[in-house]
Amino acid sequence: MRTIEQKLADLYFANLDLLEEGLPAAVNRHRSDAIQNFHLMGLPSQKNEKYKYTDIRSRYAADYEKFFTPFGAWDDSWQPLVGEAFTVRLLNGYVYGEERLIALENGILYGSLRTAAERCPELVEEYYNRLAGKGSDAVSSLNTAFTQDGLFVYLPRHTAAGKPVVVIQGCRSEESAQVYHRALIIAEENAQVQVVFQSTDADETPFLINSLTEVFAGQGARIEIVDVISENNRSTHLSNQYVRQEKDSWVQTVSVHAEGGVIRTDTSTYLEGKGAENHMHGLFMAGEGEHLDSHTNIEHRAADCISYEDFRGVASGDGVGVFNGRILVAQDAQRTQAFQENHNLLLNDDAAIHTKPQLEIYADDVKCSHGATVGQLDEQAVFYMRQRGIGQQEARKLQLYGFVRTIIDKITLRKVAEAVDGLVTAKIDRL
Amino acid sequence: MLLSVKNLHVKVGEKEILKGIDLQVHAGEVHAIMGPNGSGKSTFASVLAGNEKFEVTEGEVLYRGKDLLAMSIEDRAREGLFIGFQYPVEIPGVSMMNFMRQALNEQRKYQGLAPLTAVEFLQRSKEKAAVVELEAKMTNRAVNEGFSGGEKKKNEIFQMAMLDPKLAILDETDSGLDIDALRIVASGVNQLCHSDNATVVITHYQRLLDYIVPDYVHVLYQGRIIKSAGKELALELEEKGYDWLIKDYQ
Repeated sequence: MRTIEQKLADLYFANLDLLEEGLPAAVNRHRSDAIQNFHLMGLPSQKNEKYKYTDIRSRYAADYEKFFTPFGAWDDSWQPLVGEAFTVRLLNGYVYGEERLIALENGILYGSLRTAAERCPELVEEYYNRLAGKGSDAVSSLNTAFTQDGLFVYLPRHTAAGKPVVVIQGCRSEESAQVYHRALIIAEENAQVQVVFQSTDADETPFLINSLTEVFAGQGARIEIVDVISENNRSTHLSNQYVRQEKDSWVQTVSVHAEGGVIRTDTSTYLEGKGAENHMHGLFMAGEGEHLDSHTNIEHRAADCISYEDFRGVASGDGVGVFNGRILVAQDAQRTQAFQENHNLLLNDDAAIHTKPQLEIYADDVKCSHGATVGQLDEQAVFYMRQRGIGQQEARKLQLYGFVRTIIDKITLRKVAEAVDGLVTAKIDRL
Repeated sequence: MLLSVKNLHVKVGEKEILKGIDLQVHAGEVHAIMGPNGSGKSTFASVLAGNEKFEVTEGEVLYRGKDLLAMSIEDRAREGLFIGFQYPVEIPGVSMMNFMRQALNEQRKYQGLAPLTAVEFLQRSKEKAAVVELEAKMTNRAVNEGFSGGEKKKNEIFQMAMLDPKLAILDETDSGLDIDALRIVASGVNQLCHSDNATVVITHYQRLLDYIVPDYVHVLYQGRIIKSAGKELALELEEKGYDWLIKDYQ
């Protein structure tokens, strides 16, 4: 019997022509190393410390169709969370619709990565796979081997998008399928942009989704990313996000795991320039049959950088939530300030939460703190609310909402925060 | 009659705390329940609220003619019973306004009334916050979170004002208050008293009763009401302490 790795490698080699067709070297030249790296490393098993609580191998054991050309039709229920936005629609990993790459007056580009690679190969050449390619893990390598399209956002220096870029990453297929999402976001010096990812799928088809995002924040740039995953609970979503920050840049990422089967996100931020500031926040709400795993890694590689991290998790039914937060402070990263918090609520006995903060500090002049808690709803608070006339269920929901809104409140885009609030409130009703 | 308690016996675990309480409260009245620490005052309030930690072994409680003990905690509240807690709970993340709005509208729904509009609600909270001199910014914060002792008690009375209960039981509302806060809280309570509702204040000290003048004073000791009289009893207790009353029971 062929191994999972062999099957995927065979699939790759059998379809290499299709994979490479119409794409320049900027993208294609990375494939060969990537597939070799994938085959060499193999998909991580639970023996791997980083995958101790999340079994992805068994999710790959099932057969998933892989299509090499755009297919399927848009699901009209997929609407952008905000109306006032530059919207990009991706269906099964390919930009959907006639508009491929939009150029704004000030030189800002957004749209298809495939088209961008064709029209501005030098930009893609410079940035594509720069972060993901280094010491890359098997899941990222697989993405690089199979990517054919994705999101491209580029902001020249001193420009601001004005409106958020909203990216709907939808999956829709008659049969279960593997889908690759890719995104490349480049904000040059002092540029500003907000990007909202909405990952979703249709019906009850199981999808195996592998997404990879690379974000480059130039000197003084400001980037906010909101990443909302809302998929059916037969799907598996493995996501890798890499962020590189230059001097005095500001980046905030807020990830919300609202709905899914197995979701595993790995977010790595590299603070490369002095005075860079990173805010990394997340919320996962694991209900019956859901397994939501957030791994984060913040590397302070330059002096005077600040990072704030706050992740909150809720698990009910037989749901499982995992948080692993690593902060590394390099020897030269003096006067680093790094603060990490992870708080979790367990709603019943069958649910589970695993949390692990990891601080590695090699500099001697730093201010770092971390705190992790796992608790239950406060029954005294429930009693207090009931005494005011609020029903028991409502009192629990109110408290749960109070717990998670801390993360929603971090989203600076008011309309997005409101929409996320709606998703979260609906989820709470189902927990 | 608003409240009629007959021969109420209550246990926690194996320990009997209330050993036959009788109390009757009519609309328009203010009652004070006094007594030394450990006499069962707070247990009495908790049982009326519906705290499941306490087991009623005997007796009955009729509230507006209905069996109070058979009602859920929230239905008691919706029927107009309010408990001012000795230690109000902090609820991080839940804003005062959301909390009150939901409480008020659930009570109104139960009573067959339409929910208040946002404007009506805001107007009402502004008005009621003034009753207890609660700063407007307090009502924008999470419920009791980071409030001082005095602010928490003011907040209890603010909630009472918002919900306009038929019967309010105020458990040690004066504890931990400085004299200014005490005056404000008491004046709030006085403003809320009218001929259709009643208030029971539970207190250890007489000093609250300088501001809230009761019609009846009851002394609770070892789980029983050992003496009931008019407001002059409070003054007598202030002067002579509890010893002269309880010596026969020791």
